[in-house]
Amino acid sequence: MKIVVGEGSCGIAAGAAKVYSALESALNGVNAELTFTGCNGMCFLEPIVDICDKGNLIKRLVRVTPGDAGKIAAFVNGDGDAVKDLEISDDDKAFLDKQTRIALRHCGVINPEKIEEYTATDGYKALRKVLTSMTPEEVIEVIKTSGLAGRGGAGFPTWFKWNAARQSPGEEKYLICNADEGDPGAFMDRAVIESDPHNLIEGMLIGAYAIGAKEAIVYVRAEYPLAISRLEKAISQAEEAGYLGDSILGSGFNCKMRIKAGAGAFVCGEETALIESLQGERGMPRLKPPFPAASGYWYKPSNINNVETFANVSWIILNGGEAFAAMGTENSKGTKVFALTGKVKKGGLVEIPMGKTLRDVIFDIGGGIKEDKEFKAVQMGGPSGGCIPASLLDTRIDYKELAATGAIMGSGGMVVMDSSTCMVSMARFFLDFTAKESCGKCVHCRIGTKRMLEMLDRIVKGKGKDGDIELLEELCFAVKDGALCGLGQTAPNPVLSTIRYFRDEYEAHINEKRCPAHSCGDLLSYSIDPAACRGCTLCSKKCPVGAISGTVKNPHTIDSEACVKCGSCFNVCKFGAVKVN
Amino acid sequence: MNSIKVKIDGREYVCENGMTVLQVARANGIDIPALCFIDELKPYGACGICTVEAANTPKLLRACATTVFDGMEISTNSDRIRRSRKTALELLLSDHTGDCRGPCSLNCPAGTDCQGYVKLISEGKYKEATALVKERVPLPASIGRVCPHPCETACRRNFVEQPLSIAFLKAFAADRDLASGDKYMPDPAPSSGKSVGIIGGGPAGLTAAYFLAVKGHAVTVYDSMPKMGGMLRYGIPQYRLPKEVLDMEIDTIEKLGVTLRNNIRIGKDISFDEIKTKYDATLVAIGAWQSSSMGVPGEELDGVIGGIDFLRSIALGNPVSIGKNVAVCGGGNTAMDACRSAVRLGAENVYVIYRRTRDEMPAEKVEIDEAEEEGVQYRFLCNPDEITGENGRVNGIKLQKMRLGEPDAGGRRRPVPIEGEFEYTDIDTVIMAIGQRISPEGFDELEFNQRGNISADESTFRTSVEGVFAVGDATNRGASIAIEAIGEAQKASEVIDSYLNGGIIPYKKPYFVEKTVTEADFADRERIPRAKMPQRSPEERKHDFNEINLGLSEETAKAEAKRCLECGCHDYYDCKLIKYANQYDVSPAKYAGEKHNCDKETQLVSIERDQNKCILCNLCVRVCDEEAGKGIIGLVGRGFTTVIKPEFDNVPEVTAFCKDCLKCVASCPTGALKALK
Repeated sequence: MKIVVGEGSCGIAAGAAKVYSALESALNGVNAELTFTGCNGMCFLEPIVDICDKGNLIKRLVRVTPGDAGKIAAFVNGDGDAVKDLEISDDDKAFLDKQTRIALRHCGVINPEKIEEYTATDGYKALRKVLTSMTPEEVIEVIKTSGLAGRGGAGFPTWFKWNAARQSPGEEKYLICNADEGDPGAFMDRAVIESDPHNLIEGMLIGAYAIGAKEAIVYVRAEYPLAISRLEKAISQAEEAGYLGDSILGSGFNCKMRIKAGAGAFVCGEETALIESLQGERGMPRLKPPFPAASGYWYKPSNINNVETFANVSWIILNGGEAFAAMGTENSKGTKVFALTGKVKKGGLVEIPMGKTLRDVIFDIGGGIKEDKEFKAVQMGGPSGGCIPASLLDTRIDYKELAATGAIMGSGGMVVMDSSTCMVSMARFFLDFTAKESCGKCVHCRIGTKRMLEMLDRIVKGKGKDGDIELLEELCFAVKDGALCGLGQTAPNPVLSTIRYFRDEYEAHINEKRCPAHSCGDLLSYSIDPAACRGCTLCSKKCPVGAISGTVKNPHTIDSEACVKCGSCFNVCKFGAVKVN
Repeated sequence: MNSIKVKIDGREYVCENGMTVLQVARANGIDIPALCFIDELKPYGACGICTVEAANTPKLLRACATTVFDGMEISTNSDRIRRSRKTALELLLSDHTGDCRGPCSLNCPAGTDCQGYVKLISEGKYKEATALVKERVPLPASIGRVCPHPCETACRRNFVEQPLSIAFLKAFAADRDLASGDKYMPDPAPSSGKSVGIIGGGPAGLTAAYFLAVKGHAVTVYDSMPKMGGMLRYGIPQYRLPKEVLDMEIDTIEKLGVTLRNNIRIGKDISFDEIKTKYDATLVAIGAWQSSSMGVPGEELDGVIGGIDFLRSIALGNPVSIGKNVAVCGGGNTAMDACRSAVRLGAENVYVIYRRTRDEMPAEKVEIDEAEEEGVQYRFLCNPDEITGENGRVNGIKLQKMRLGEPDAGGRRRPVPIEGEFEYTDIDTVIMAIGQRISPEGFDELEFNQRGNISADESTFRTSVEGVFAVGDATNRGASIAIEAIGEAQKASEVIDSYLNGGIIPYKKPYFVEKTVTEADFADRERIPRAKMPQRSPEERKHDFNEINLGLSEETAKAEAKRCLECGCHDYYDCKLIKYANQYDVSPAKYAGEKHNCDKETQLVSIERDQNKCILCNLCVRVCDEEAGKGIIGLVGRGFTTVIKPEFDNVPEVTAFCKDCLKCVASCPTGALKALK
């Protein structure tokens, strides 16, 4: 038997490494192989331990603690019921069963540090096929047929970029992978690198062959140490196995690969800023045109794709462009990975064919809203994206259809919000992020986002005034129009889309100095209804600042001067006696 | 190089392939603003000011970096472009701290470049200084003597010790220029073929005449008095402004080709209609020449005279008999001129009757003090209740005693009569210096406001009659100080010029960046006392009408000029940011928020750096990289906090690489960098 512990960063954070250690001891002398895999995307169930027998998954155990190691050992030793209470429920199983996995197909399945596990699942077969039987033009043609578009967010046709780089004159060309995944709440790329690094390497090699690059660089944010170390291991394994280096697989095609760790600037996810950073310069975007395909890294023709884009390539080569294009809508082909987070019951990585609806993702796969509260909106595309309200839940996952809502497909961040989320604060949160991450180069972004943030700050503090919404909108449009790069051009999206769908919330903050979601502390006041209060003292015990006084079985009172408006009294009161105004 | 055709704003141009939109536009005289681009360097794309639109391209393009292609259709001035540029400028200005112009200049009604001419005076360049003053004020020797100088009130030397003696410095420079034998004469434009008739030869009329003549128009000034100068001649006593000085300055205006016609009264010697039809444009600048009355019993008696009437009689050389005891009613500058003139005419007791106290007097403090030195007696908290007389002639004045009550709307405490308390004084002459009004006879065609003044548009100076403009004391809010009238006339001359050229461009107050300062900001300044104007002693001067001030010596004037704190930005005339700000009619206040607040740095070899004016165009960094190799200065920080700093904040080591070429200073589009040598 094989005991497989899910050890992506997320699993480790949930305690998977401790579980692994405990299993090492518990399985000592037991006839079972202990190993690990990457992340299968079921964050809400971590740590996860799979028990396999003869290559088949026989038990999936979830929310495993180190204390459960003995049960697992017992199971291996023949006690069929030992792990019963740890087994995944049928309902949770559906989370994976309802997905279609291409980019994530090996994630949580193979050991990411063992090249043989990758090759055993058709790994490097596509590279072999390309190098032995296809011209670069034919590769590009297959990608064109597949309809694969950039998964980093903008959705630009991949074949077009490859072709442009291929057509660009010059011997020296570069292929770059953008793994500077910076959107708050997005972790698709991390999961792919940590869980299936060889798939990324293979996709990149095929791309490098297609455009004629002899050097490939992966730009990974330094905040992903596990991804970097697994990718480093994978690169040396690939070199050793002859998949990287000179005359790969005897084809005469040479390509080396290296990793560049980014220093943590969000703007370096913008391709020209990324190139500047690669060159050792301050990460600031360049003017486009010229596009990187003509003048990129060291001003040579370069092609930059996102991790997920590359992760689809080997599958497309092996299964054909048509098979990929068979999934999805007329505009958007294949699958897309989303990092589903927020107020959703089942958070994690979801890969589904294009054309599914938001409702499919959030309710069918994600299981709906935590505590069965009311769904309010889903934020897509992170700081560059927008909010989609409940009325548009049946929007399909499609570049054009999502863009029409004011949000974007984005790189895959999908943050679900319920009625307790203040949409003004939400917009403020994202803008705070982009304002701080602006590289400072262009005026519209550097000062424009700062001024927008100041206006939002005023509004959430109850200091908004008549005309602020209009001024905010005006500035948003100006920044979209005038900013130099994608960061600035999209920074206003969270604001614009919340104004579009939740204008009444902005108005309530400004005109009535009221936060409808009861979330903006400056606009709240808490009081206790003496008629409803039973004097249980729970609220006064929970109050972090001792602002609630009262004796047992007598109505309590809140000292509004001392109250910090944290809301804990409201949350703990079982009698609905705490009122928010 | 092959030629291609592009369309810019609907016109076709042939240009070379590979050129940028900005290059093609500028080569063809189409102005596209840009802050972060200079020809010598590669495009950078930061400022977002050079944006243009191209057909079939949804995004705005940066003209500096966009290469043209055959058949490209470019628009450089659409609403969307103007909006985008304007927003970029407003955002920049929302984080721009400084003073485009010093408070002296901003508070001068004529907008005189005080800091500029003071600097020239400190360098001994008096003709240049006079020329600079004359860009706004054609009568500097006269005005420098009499102006109540709002510039000095605003001078930031007030935070240190006393204001700079700006007005006297102006008179000093102009006197030197007049005495040089080669006085400054402007270079008038070629004749425009257009004519302007100006009614009134006072400071406003003469100013308009000067500027319109400089612009090439044929100007005729009509005045009812025997000589030109208006109130400067007939309202201000000789001891303050010798008429010989005024004559010399009027002479310059006449030399410019202006026709001066005196002793002509509208409605009597010539009709308003005749002037109006004779000239392409007419300017009414007739002033306010009628003394206001108090409505006190006895005002009709012989020996009661209006303040300006009294001063005019003296100026005309008419015999004026005032007796021994003179009462001057009022607390303004005319009252001061009247009382001091009465002293000089030999009156034994000259009383100034004022219903409030010394602190509330609207007259200049220096005038109040000098009058007292000459023997004038103040009767504060008194108000004429009745002027008594015998045989139709004044023999005394009954004064109601007053006390100060609650402040009025203007903040001055209101005088309240103390019931039943009166004083009586024997008086031979009562001079009523409580205000002046317009005499509207002959101008019935024009529309007047409720105050009885001519209604003129605040920004175009147009009256109700086509082609007729009006400025100065006769208009809107009525009489004020001469420099107000001069400022209006200068602005009106621009408007009239535009009118004569077929359009009308209203005056618009330019946008300036201003900062707020406090005394603490000047704590480290050296205290240098204000230059004292040498004066004749009170004993000597009170017996004649000769000028009381003896003029600043050259040494004193230069030293005084060096006291200037140079509040205004050194780069004002070259600053692209302020130029574009006014072209795009910015109003950045709506974006008011956090601003950078950095100290000036001077330790960078010979450069002074003011980050508060830095717009992060990065030109200094880029020219420096080209000139001195990489890494002397660079961008530090992210987002709004980004600044340009010496690399690794290591000033001594980094500046060791500096070649002192000052190309960074030359490239800076604002006043953020200044060469110290």
